[in-house]
Amino acid sequence: MNARIIDHPQFSLLVGVVFFMLMAMVPTGLELSGVSGGGIAQLDVLNKIGIYAVLALSLNIILGQTGLFNMGHAAFFAVGAYTTAILNTMYQWPVFSTMPAAGFLAALFAFLVVMPIIHLRGDYLLVVTIGIVEIVRIALMNNIFGITGGPNGIYGIARPALFGLVFSSVKLQYYLIWSFTGISLFLFYLLEHSRIGRAFNYIKHDDLAAAGCGINVARYKLMAFVLGAFWAGMAGTLYAANIRTIEPMSFNFYESVILFAIVILGGSGSNAGVILGAFLLVGLQDLFRGFDSARMLFFGAAMCAMMVFRPQGLLPPRRRRYNAWQLVGKFASAIRRSYPCDEDKRNDR
Amino acid sequence: MEEFFQQLTNGLAVGGIYALIALGYTMVYGILRLINFAHGDLFTLGAYLGFTLLVSWGLSGVLGGLAVAGVLILFAMGLVAIAGCLLERIAYRPLRNSDRLTAVVSALGASIFVQNAIMLVCGARSQVYPTGILPTTIIPIFGVDVSAMRFLMFGFSLLLMLLLYGFIHKTRLGAAIRAVAIDQDAAKLMGIDVNRIISTVFLIGPALGGAAGVMVGLFYGQITYDMGFSFGLKAFTAAILGGIGNIPGAMVGGILLGVIEALGAAYISIAWKDAIAFCVLILILIFRPTGILGERVAEKI
Amino acid sequence: MKKTFSLITVMLVSLLYTGVASAADVKIGLMAPITGAFASEGQDMQKLLELMVEETNNSGGINGSKVELLVEDDGSTPRSAATAASRLVAKGAPVVIGTYGSAVTEASQDIYDEAGIVQIGTGSTSIRLTAKGMKRFFRTCPRDDEQGRVAQETLQKLGYKRVAILHDNSAYAKGLADETKALIDAKKSAEIIFFDALVPGERDYSAILTKLKGVNPDAIFFTGYYPEAGQLLRQMAEMKFSIPLLGGDATNNLDLVKIAGPAAEGYHFISPPMPADIDNPAAKELIKAYVAKYKSQPSSIWVVLAGDAYLVLVEAIKHKGPDAGAIAEYLHKDLKDFEGMTGKISFDDKGDRVGDIYRLYKVDEKGNFILQPK
Repeated sequence: MNARIIDHPQFSLLVGVVFFMLMAMVPTGLELSGVSGGGIAQLDVLNKIGIYAVLALSLNIILGQTGLFNMGHAAFFAVGAYTTAILNTMYQWPVFSTMPAAGFLAALFAFLVVMPIIHLRGDYLLVVTIGIVEIVRIALMNNIFGITGGPNGIYGIARPALFGLVFSSVKLQYYLIWSFTGISLFLFYLLEHSRIGRAFNYIKHDDLAAAGCGINVARYKLMAFVLGAFWAGMAGTLYAANIRTIEPMSFNFYESVILFAIVILGGSGSNAGVILGAFLLVGLQDLFRGFDSARMLFFGAAMCAMMVFRPQGLLPPRRRRYNAWQLVGKFASAIRRSYPCDEDKRNDR
Repeated sequence: MEEFFQQLTNGLAVGGIYALIALGYTMVYGILRLINFAHGDLFTLGAYLGFTLLVSWGLSGVLGGLAVAGVLILFAMGLVAIAGCLLERIAYRPLRNSDRLTAVVSALGASIFVQNAIMLVCGARSQVYPTGILPTTIIPIFGVDVSAMRFLMFGFSLLLMLLLYGFIHKTRLGAAIRAVAIDQDAAKLMGIDVNRIISTVFLIGPALGGAAGVMVGLFYGQITYDMGFSFGLKAFTAAILGGIGNIPGAMVGGILLGVIEALGAAYISIAWKDAIAFCVLILILIFRPTGILGERVAEKI
Repeated sequence: MKKTFSLITVMLVSLLYTGVASAADVKIGLMAPITGAFASEGQDMQKLLELMVEETNNSGGINGSKVELLVEDDGSTPRSAATAASRLVAKGAPVVIGTYGSAVTEASQDIYDEAGIVQIGTGSTSIRLTAKGMKRFFRTCPRDDEQGRVAQETLQKLGYKRVAILHDNSAYAKGLADETKALIDAKKSAEIIFFDALVPGERDYSAILTKLKGVNPDAIFFTGYYPEAGQLLRQMAEMKFSIPLLGGDATNNLDLVKIAGPAAEGYHFISPPMPADIDNPAAKELIKAYVAKYKSQPSSIWVVLAGDAYLVLVEAIKHKGPDAGAIAEYLHKDLKDFEGMTGKISFDDKGDRVGDIYRLYKVDEKGNFILQPK
């Protein structure tokens, strides 16, 4: 019985809808429960989880779906956040109108820097992306083009406003961030089940076979980076508007590491897993505050333990299933394309 | 020209340290395809163990300067080797048959854990090795004053690397390590105890990192709980630069990275030094996708 | 799937319960870097304040009410600082001390301001922090421009004509370097022949020193922190590169001498005076008690400045009670020349500390920091 519900094609959508309905009730629930300060401390943590969730979802396209080792995702995030900050504080663009620009510039940046290195394999790509995030941080530190404010960063970013509604309180920010997370999740769900998403997965499992099936591997890999970077750039806008002061150290290698860990811990490729991973890795850092200066010790141990006890990740993606009879007639070619995807080959080795 | 030579010696000294740490990354990678992110923190552990031994035993009064250094390095190597072995048992062995990235995340967790454990035990403030253990003789060559310690440090790094190279290529155990690196299953069929070989690698790699830690402590004095991060990242970069999994590659990569940094700082910009180093890395990888000397083991055909 | 839901539920529930505050008479918040890059500063701030709170409570509290110290970790990053600030707001502290680092402080300023909380920065020297017109933000540390002014005067007085300025690209060191450079250029008191940043946290600075030796300055002014200053001194001695190195207040740390060894002799730095050098017996007693309890000196002057923030808050609460508005007004208008641990404390309209605070220190051959006569 249970298994049948899970197998229903619309099951994950249903879970998502229920989850976001629950999330929508959290602020009210916190207020009614009478925690101190109307729950702003809790909402603030949830806001951070939300931003990380969007970022991790965008990294998931690159790392989880396409299997490209990207440990420099914070670079794209930084480009987006700084775009918003510069356009808003220097040119007085409203925060929301900077969002497409932030996404576009992050995507353009990704396109330019990743194009020459897209042929690198596995760990070489990983170290190059680490190099990129470090170069971006150093460039921001050194006030590149004279507009990033150097180590002090940029402050005084306006609150986002939409149709006269200013998202100033923690609670309004919460609704903003989690609505964006919800939309992102839905779009990524569609992407995963699209032709592009299938191509990504195919490349992850066997890029030679994918190339053999006529998939332009380099182009799709680049596309994964550009899409992921676009979304990370937009998350940068959300972040800049939430924290209102950005500086280079917020986009260091360590941030990329946390994002990387969220995706792998979540199950490398499953959107629901990524959301859960964001809750665990960002939430745990906060829950462990009680341990005082030992909090990161416990966090590190927890990270190890979670991997050791659940190596496949919390919610690994389920195998793609197709009802072959349904596909015949509709997408005759899709059957041929998708069939080898079911071969659950291990990545390397 | 004089400045150039001076910068070159500066770069070589730092490069020797990078190379020594890079060997640990490259050996583990060669055999498990795992980037051991906790390696930088084992290097820190070595520095702290050396410091603790030095202070608690009061060695400096009993033996001469270089003998103290030798004893410290040996003890720290031994203890860090044990720590490395334990790390492998706890955090990596259960994941040997899982996806590679799982072990990478476990390594990142272990890195955070070790770093914070050191902070909790030894404090967040930096510790300083007592001064005056090592001689401060200065040797002039080519009109450049170079501290004898820099020569010694570089020479000692080189010695350890050559010993390792000889061990890997001339002994039975070394041959077994190479066999496991090429194909674990085939090695198993040849009667090689793969678990033992992997444990051996996790003894040698961290030991070299621990030696580097003590050397940094002795020469530069100051040690901090988070220094493994920047040294580790540089050494890892060096390993990739030379071709990861390749022992001479790690040596070449480490020394090259040190020199690039020194010359970049001298002739371009100090503040952009690290960015320059990463740019060179990316450029080299664009043209040589598996590092300068190439990877010994192809990832997938 | 079921497991997942229960996990989420557990997390949400525990999130709910972490914010519940216990009741006490006077709550004073401390936001400090307990973990992260500046952990050593933050941990010592916590130690010093815990000691001070203990002493306050042992001597009967403030007007009979006990003090409760609420500590939140800002992790040395703006992101965690915002969370820490929200938590202190939720716990209902009317006054907050902290934090270290201007960008980190900045990320928390809005949150406190919107909640009407008095915040006293301790290691937040960027000028812009008090330029926003916030009525309840103060700081016990002087601003970058004040230190820049003193640095320029000192360099001029010592007669250096060719000056090299080196910073470490941290917000603080860059700010001080920029201010000093601007003042020297404006007054044409010296020629700046070198201006660059080193990478903090490294061990080998010989490449930078070789470059500096090449430009042959009269003196080097380093605006960064003590570990790098110690390494620079040590490696300068190794290279036989003997020109004066001067530093800012971030090098006021006894570990500097430990790192540099004998090479520290003759090193000059400017800093607010230390408790040992001002005429305040209570402060000296306090530091003595600190050393007795924790077996080490407070790691830096910033820790002492956090102690100063606590002292002025206690003074204000003594007169006005734990009401944020009244405390802010008291600090602005009524608190004049209060005897703090780093000398006399008063605040101006913007919340900046007023007065001529900086002094010149020199390291003697035994490694002691000797206050130089003005």
